[in-house]
Amino acid sequence: MADFIKHPVVELPERKPEPVIPADQLHFSEDEKKQIQTWISRYPTADGAVMRALWLAQEKFSFLPPEVIQLVADELGMPYAKAYGVATFYTQYFKEKKGKYVLDVCTCFSCQLCGGFDMLHYLEEKLGVHKGETTADGVFTVQEAECLGACGSAPMLQITNGTYVHHLTKDKIDALVDALREDKVPAFTSVTLPQDEDEMGGNRRTDVAATESYGVCPVSETTR
Amino acid sequence: MAKVTIDHQTFEYEGQQGLLQFCLDHGVDLPHFCYHPAMSAPANCRQCLVEVGMPQRDRATGDVVKDDAGNDVIQFMPKLQTSCSMQMADGMVVKTHRSSELVKRAQKDTLEFLLINHPLDCPICDQAGHCPLQNQAYKHGPEGSRFEFEKVHKPKHIDLGPRVVLDGERCINCTRCVRFTREVSESHQLTIIERGVRNYPMTPPGVEFDEPYSMNVIDICPVGALTSKDHRFKARIWEMSKTPSVSTVGAKGSNVDYWVKDNQIMKVTPRTNMEVNEYWLADEERLDYRKFNEDRPEGPTVEGAPVSWDMGWKAAADCLQGVDGSRIVFLGSAWATVEDNYLLGRLAAAVGASAPVYLPHVESGHGDNWLRTDDRTPNAQGCERLGIRAISPAGLKARLESADVLYVMEDDPVASGACSVEDLAGIKVILHHYNTTNQTLAAADVALPAAMAVETVGTYVNMDGHAQRLRPAKAIAGVNRTLSMEIGKCRADRHGTPFDKWYNESNLVDCQPGWVSLPEVAAGLGHAMAYKGPKQIMEEVSNALPSFKGATYPAMGEHGVRLETAGVTA
Repeated sequence: MADFIKHPVVELPERKPEPVIPADQLHFSEDEKKQIQTWISRYPTADGAVMRALWLAQEKFSFLPPEVIQLVADELGMPYAKAYGVATFYTQYFKEKKGKYVLDVCTCFSCQLCGGFDMLHYLEEKLGVHKGETTADGVFTVQEAECLGACGSAPMLQITNGTYVHHLTKDKIDALVDALREDKVPAFTSVTLPQDEDEMGGNRRTDVAATESYGVCPVSETTR
Repeated sequence: MAKVTIDHQTFEYEGQQGLLQFCLDHGVDLPHFCYHPAMSAPANCRQCLVEVGMPQRDRATGDVVKDDAGNDVIQFMPKLQTSCSMQMADGMVVKTHRSSELVKRAQKDTLEFLLINHPLDCPICDQAGHCPLQNQAYKHGPEGSRFEFEKVHKPKHIDLGPRVVLDGERCINCTRCVRFTREVSESHQLTIIERGVRNYPMTPPGVEFDEPYSMNVIDICPVGALTSKDHRFKARIWEMSKTPSVSTVGAKGSNVDYWVKDNQIMKVTPRTNMEVNEYWLADEERLDYRKFNEDRPEGPTVEGAPVSWDMGWKAAADCLQGVDGSRIVFLGSAWATVEDNYLLGRLAAAVGASAPVYLPHVESGHGDNWLRTDDRTPNAQGCERLGIRAISPAGLKARLESADVLYVMEDDPVASGACSVEDLAGIKVILHHYNTTNQTLAAADVALPAAMAVETVGTYVNMDGHAQRLRPAKAIAGVNRTLSMEIGKCRADRHGTPFDKWYNESNLVDCQPGWVSLPEVAAGLGHAMAYKGPKQIMEEVSNALPSFKGATYPAMGEHGVRLETAGVTA
């Protein structure tokens, strides 16, 4: 984003790209189709299920090239153009191939104040890539993200649209990268306020019996 | 009846009505960009903001609360409302920019936002001069911008499809074009991509914006983001004059404006007629205008040699003189006006020939039940109502075997495959033609250039029986008082005399309307067919033929007259 302020240039996407998913793999399984139908039944029109269906497709194909968006649109019986508009609107839908783990480092206000950029730059140096790039081995993509709604535990990052890692420090990043290289994704950590920790047992999720929650707030090096 | 008060003026209304449309209909000029009467109102340009209030009601009793003076207490909504998406309600009180400083300020600020990333390239923009953003910025906008940073650069001169060019930077994301493809044409070829400051309309990958109605988005675009590939940089809007008339491309008779510069048609745009084409026009109707400018004949010829008009008319009369009526074939035309076909019918009757026939130009499968039709001619219905019947090319060929003279009005039997130039060797051919590309011209003994739909006064009847007037958009060579008067009446710039600002003698075509040529030919044969002009001819037609009842010029006006279907035999 910082670069966009200095060079506010919007690139035209490739208008006639070659398909990247082989035709024989470009389909949903019966189970997936059934799942999509379940989602469709929850909305007044089939269009309503487009975000869930795109999400499912992204999990299946790891990203959303145009032919996958077309597949989703056809499955929902909605216009391809509309589905494409939705897919480009959200940065969480990957329009191009990313690394196995996408690390979204938040640099919005709260994280920025608490050292979000320090964490981003440390990660960039450590992995030898710039933000937006993927490491040569295809394991990590480092991205800068807008607010991910976890200001209380700033600075933080998100792993591939999923787990949050709170209260980042350089040590924590070192440990995280090592763990991810061994495909050990950290467990979900509840974001609670200190006063809620006792009351709710620190668990903010209703679908699991217990989660870890953080205790003491570390302060970023910058602030210190 | 329900009442609504707009800027202290009370109006009565019925039914469910949108506030913005109601204001526009009643002369309150609310600025807006994204709203279009034919499409849904997304309320995303935020330009039509107004203050809206309702009479306060007592919660307990439900009665309207009165102040000390006995007037209703009006409770205004805490925030400004977008009038395009606001439905009116009984007792509603509205304050627009005319009476509210707050609304004025909001409109000014919205414009400042819209202009933040809008390039100030009006001097080279095709939309300049008829640009809602430009006009409203002048009317309601701030005097300058406070934005000191570099503007966002988006893709420019992108061919969205074969006919529409996108300039992403100029786009204000009103989504009119996207909604057109979603709600009106239903081609679903456009969408807004990306988000925030990065968004602009685009086709999804692998899709071209090539639907047959794509160019409508150029008209509805409130800025210069979507421009015509064909008309781009050809003429500024203030260099052209426009004339309300009718399309010549299909049987739907879509209403159009012909834009003229230096006596050449520069572009064709739709003219709103809710009974015919509503707001829209097919691309083929917009692009088929070169025939009016190119390959036009230079005056009448006899046996290929240029002659004066008097000599040409006399030569035509000589061809018909003394020939038995049964050996003359009169070919009318579904491109010619009702008036001209009627006169041709009268000429045929005068020489004792049977009624004229016409060659239909039907392309099966071309139509789409909207504005494009299988019939590629504008006036087949008018011919039928005059009793001029369709004849197949083979049928015409058969009739030519026992003919000495073929009188062709504004058609091309050779190109239609009815006959070859050799077939016509023994037949005298009199031809009223539009273009020098007319293949029958090679066989014509007398060729009399005919004024095209953009140069004449006349009437077309569309497939649904809607009789509509043609008006002269450009002048022809020579003096014709009727045409000059009509041009003066229908062109906004009141072009009519050589003293007018836009008067220009370049590109004048030496041709004559049928209602000039045909009476002259008839006069050469000793038959009087004198009319003051096409208006009088149409009056006679509407009186004489029940199938044209009511189709007089004053009645047809700008939007035409729907004729009764009775009396028509297909």
